Amino acid sequence: MISRRTLLKSGAGAVAATLAAPAIAQAPKKISFLTWNIIDQEPMIRGWIARFAKDRPGVEVEWLDKKGPEIPVFYQTQLVAGTPPDIINTQGALGLEYAAQGALLDLTPRLKADAAVGSRFNADYLSNWAYEGNNYLLPFYITKTLLFYNKPMFQKAGLSGPPQSFDALIDAAQKMASGDASGFLTLNFDWLYWPLYATNGIDLLSKDLTKPTFNTPKAIEVTDRLAKATEAGAINKISWTGRWVEPNGAFAAGNVGMLHAHSPAYFFVKGQGKWVTPETLGVAHAPGGFATPNSHGLGISKASKNPDLAWDFLKFVTNEGAQELGVNRKLVTGNIAVDTKNLADLEKSDPLVYSILKTQLEHTDKMVGNWRLGNDSKIKEAFWPELQNVLLGRKDAKTALADAERKVARELKRG
Amino acid sequence: MRQRGTFLRHATLVGVSAIMLLPFYWVLKTAVTNENIYAYPPRLLPESPHLFNFVDVWYFIPFPRYLLNSLIVSALVVASNIVFNAMAGYALTKSFAGKRAILLLFLSCMLIPFQATIIPAYLITSKLGLLNSYLGLAFPLLSTIVCIFVFKAAFEAVPQSLVDAARIDGLSEWRVILRVLMPLSKAAIATNVVLAFIWSWNAFLWPLIITREPTMQTLPLGLARFLSYMEDTTGALYAFAVMVLAPSIFVFLMAQKEFIRGLTSGATKG
Amino acid sequence: MMPAAGGAPGGSAERHNGWWQRKRTRELALVACFLLPSLVVFFLYRVLPLGWNLLLSVQYWSPLKPARWAGLDHYEEMLLYDDVFWQSLTNTLIFIGAAPFAIALALGIALLVNSDLKGAAVYRSIVFLSYPLMTVAVGIIWRWMYDERGGIINFALRESGLVAKPIPFLQSFEWALPSVIVAEVWQVLGFYMIIILTGLQSIPQHLYEAASIDGAPRWAQFWRITLPMLKPSLFLCAVVGILNSFTSFDLVYIMTNGGPGHATELLITYIYKSGFGQTKFDYAAALTVAQFILLLALTYLANRAAGGNAGSLERR
Repeated sequence: MISRRTLLKSGAGAVAATLAAPAIAQAPKKISFLTWNIIDQEPMIRGWIARFAKDRPGVEVEWLDKKGPEIPVFYQTQLVAGTPPDIINTQGALGLEYAAQGALLDLTPRLKADAAVGSRFNADYLSNWAYEGNNYLLPFYITKTLLFYNKPMFQKAGLSGPPQSFDALIDAAQKMASGDASGFLTLNFDWLYWPLYATNGIDLLSKDLTKPTFNTPKAIEVTDRLAKATEAGAINKISWTGRWVEPNGAFAAGNVGMLHAHSPAYFFVKGQGKWVTPETLGVAHAPGGFATPNSHGLGISKASKNPDLAWDFLKFVTNEGAQELGVNRKLVTGNIAVDTKNLADLEKSDPLVYSILKTQLEHTDKMVGNWRLGNDSKIKEAFWPELQNVLLGRKDAKTALADAERKVARELKRG
Repeated sequence: MRQRGTFLRHATLVGVSAIMLLPFYWVLKTAVTNENIYAYPPRLLPESPHLFNFVDVWYFIPFPRYLLNSLIVSALVVASNIVFNAMAGYALTKSFAGKRAILLLFLSCMLIPFQATIIPAYLITSKLGLLNSYLGLAFPLLSTIVCIFVFKAAFEAVPQSLVDAARIDGLSEWRVILRVLMPLSKAAIATNVVLAFIWSWNAFLWPLIITREPTMQTLPLGLARFLSYMEDTTGALYAFAVMVLAPSIFVFLMAQKEFIRGLTSGATKG
Repeated sequence: MMPAAGGAPGGSAERHNGWWQRKRTRELALVACFLLPSLVVFFLYRVLPLGWNLLLSVQYWSPLKPARWAGLDHYEEMLLYDDVFWQSLTNTLIFIGAAPFAIALALGIALLVNSDLKGAAVYRSIVFLSYPLMTVAVGIIWRWMYDERGGIINFALRESGLVAKPIPFLQSFEWALPSVIVAEVWQVLGFYMIIILTGLQSIPQHLYEAASIDGAPRWAQFWRITLPMLKPSLFLCAVVGILNSFTSFDLVYIMTNGGPGHATELLITYIYKSGFGQTKFDYAAALTVAQFILLLALTYLANRAAGGNAGSLERR
């Protein structure tokens, strides 16, 4: 179901590629494509590679897929050895870190030269990976956090709808907590919990990313409230101790009122939670419409020997490929045309998934928790353990935030 | 009296066995079902067991190829471990200038974790031209220090008189090892075989780094591909664990008669 | 040692200078030859990488950027400003501290099994069964067994009435490290057992027979014969126990990833996270060197306790 426009574009692209083909050397030109945990789509990707190579004689695409925890160790080793894959798929801020390291090719000149490419993407998501003003990755598929909620639990607690403010959220969580049941759960990795702070006007760093700005009375108050709510059982403790399986599993068990997670969580929860139906699962934005993105991007390694070919492939994947990806995996790709079409179809075929994916494209100007930091993981490591200490009742908010400020400042100074 | 002692022994061992086996029962139970393993309350018996998880894997990944790769690499590792470790273990039973230094070197080498050596190990293997090769996969494990010490201890336990007698008979060093020491160190050989096999068979991180060709991947890598792309909480994962485990258990069972001899066979020593 | 070891007698070697003929040199050459293959493997894959780490620990380096001299900056950072380092160090020591108990347990089981007990082979196999499991698998299994909802351990505790609410084993600051240690002991017990069993095979039977004739009680036989002759095996077990603080990497990584907070952070997980998680390879190198020194010190102590020379039974 390709729109005529896309067909024309790809037709033009194919013609251009065919015309360019004789100019490409007869010896096989090989590029390698590293993806992040997408092995379930093997037929689709092999199809992409076949179609791409068909129009370009002498071109080979080596496809490598690794699971999330394996990618950094694999990629970094290849980087040091000088043989990194030409195209790399990263999740979240990792792409920025690699860009800051100098591992990725600056795509800005190519985007300028090929204006049609840049404009096909949602600008907010594209700028997710703009480091120091330059673009390094293109969106592969995008996600950001939203609020899932358990409608029956809401009804039982006498709540009319999803909370519209932080206070309402804590309040609702309190109302739904009793015995084994808790009111609110959030994922905590990669800054996914940050909307809770953003909605209170708290920012981690100054606009120029040089100074920590989170050690404020308001932040102390918010952290304190979160800690107290956790202790009271309103906020499920797993929010602060779990990673993926535990929090989503807990929500799937059906006794947690709200889950603050990004869209892929839905599929996990649906798989495990027998109670999940369009009538029982509510979908909303977090209070204030704030959300942390956790998208997958595609970049080109600077050490690539065939950057033009890699760029070609990137364009192909984010255009022709995006269509298939969006349909197969039921996600949003960041390609405006593709997403608009896919969502229109989903509205009829799977309204619940439609409502979830719709949130991914709304309020994209309110995305938080993705500071364009080259040392994102170091800052995270300096901040999160201190916060966790408070939320789990091991430290008081004032001391912890002060300690975190010290540590973050140290990391920022080191650059 | 004897009977009470024996009964007590059995009781203790049965208790220990139960604790050791409980996780296994749980694994097997889940490997043959597809139920949600995080459901509460946990079910003690498998619900509608089936073997699909084990069968599916043959179709989803090039299982025979990965199996072959693992077998070749493990065979290489086991063979070289027996030879190299016996040689080194024997050398360490002699006294020579610098023995303490070598012992210290070996002990120190044991204390270097693999995770800290990933990048240099990759670069070295690359320089040797052994990337994506069986030898490259096997190289870091061709000799292991624990097993050298096992041989050393076993050789030292052989009565000196036997070794001297062999030397008087004019046997060369090699023959001393082969004809006298090794036959009396069957347990050490068995330990070497079992451990070398397990360590090479279960290796995951090194094959991950060193192979780029999908056809050179070993079984744990290949099976990991088979897991669901969402963090796995179903039986497939447990079937994977069982399948990787099976050959090592097989090797152990084959070798294990060497780990014990009856009280009556003590006459062969001393 | 009798002369005339080796192939050719002095005859054909007369052409070489007398140096070769000296037995000492021949023996040294033999020893060198026999040690060579193993030494090559270790040199390439242990010594050189350690050297790389040592060098890196005094530099500022990240992939693709040129290296700058750092002196002892990383060490200063580590020892003076990094509380995570100190926590990992403590946790590592606790982890290693569990080893003597596990070894004692394995010794007990080995003794029970190393007899003419019927079915000894079965018990042996059962105890060993856990070792060949991939550590990743062990981590996943135990994480699940400890789970508050679907885990068998909490289920058993609640059903038997011992606790009212499930214990968050892996999510509690107090329970996490012991829980991980239990899983580790479960896995490594069989390994200790076969090392000890192998050692038990080498004890000459006649020693026990003589002692029995002399009327020595069983426990005296154990203390005077078995235990001393097991020194090399026990030393090996002790070293492995020290090693486990980093070979259990996958276990900790899967079960808790060092959490909650850094309650189960071991030096090795911290090294890995610093290197591949935060791209602080230079800092990770300094941590590696620190861990190496620590483990070396512990091994030295273990060696002393075993009587030196790797606990070997010198019978000269």
